[in-house]
Amino acid sequence: MSNLISLAFAAFIVENIILTQFLGICPFLGVSKKRSSALGMGLAVVFVIILSSTITWVLYQYVLVTLNIEYLRTIIFILVIAALVQMVEIFLKKVSPALYKALGIYLPLITTNCAVLGVAIININNGYNFIEMLVYSTFISLGFLFVMYIFSMIREKLDFSPVPKAFKGTPIALVVAAILAMIFARFGGII
Amino acid sequence: MNILIPAAVLAGIGFVLGYLIFLVDKYFHVEEDPHIDEVLELLPRYNCGACGYPGCKEMAISLLAKETKPEQCNPLKKEAEEVLRKYLDEYFATKC
Repeated sequence: MSNLISLAFAAFIVENIILTQFLGICPFLGVSKKRSSALGMGLAVVFVIILSSTITWVLYQYVLVTLNIEYLRTIIFILVIAALVQMVEIFLKKVSPALYKALGIYLPLITTNCAVLGVAIININNGYNFIEMLVYSTFISLGFLFVMYIFSMIREKLDFSPVPKAFKGTPIALVVAAILAMIFARFGGII
Repeated sequence: MNILIPAAVLAGIGFVLGYLIFLVDKYFHVEEDPHIDEVLELLPRYNCGACGYPGCKEMAISLLAKETKPEQCNPLKKEAEEVLRKYLDEYFATKC
């Protein structure tokens, strides 16, 4: 049990997917201008990561390993993720048109979000069992949501701050991202 | 013979996923204005964002709502712009 708690903590803060593993930077910078869309994107990514890592883990352990064709994992994982994102898109369009509109082009871009494929492959590389895989992918995606939300709040405040003209917009956001990454790097000593 | 197993697995997974997408699309289908797709056909579909909208689809929607003009689209060629303008004029003429 304590093993699982430390795994969850490590996934959430210490090995944070954005700020220490540097995966999923595109939506981190692209959809973090407004709190509501950052939250929506974060939730969509949480949903896709948990679902896709469960499916890819089961496919890998029970189909690819049994048939001795592990080398197909990258292409099959990409296939599963692309199909899942397509389904999430159709589903969101029907259920929440406002969120669908707010996410815009970034929703189909979850397909190419390296965080999703990254988590699926990390699960396999680290040799997690089913429970560990579930805990790891849940908390790493919650970490994604958490960092997205913090960053969007900072960016909302930045709009009202006296920023030098040359740094307005994305440059100052990148500076903030670097400072956040330095803060998160300090958590490395805990575990 | 060995090559057939991975090929069959890949084809099988592809088929199952394709069928699932079909089912989801069937049950969660949203009726849209068919004009949006027709305008989208006339746009370059690069999704470059030069017009200020996140993608060509949003541009098409606002073109039909008269919120923007075809000139906003940077990569659109002159001849294609003429065709688009003609289409939009016809659309607004029949609508009113």
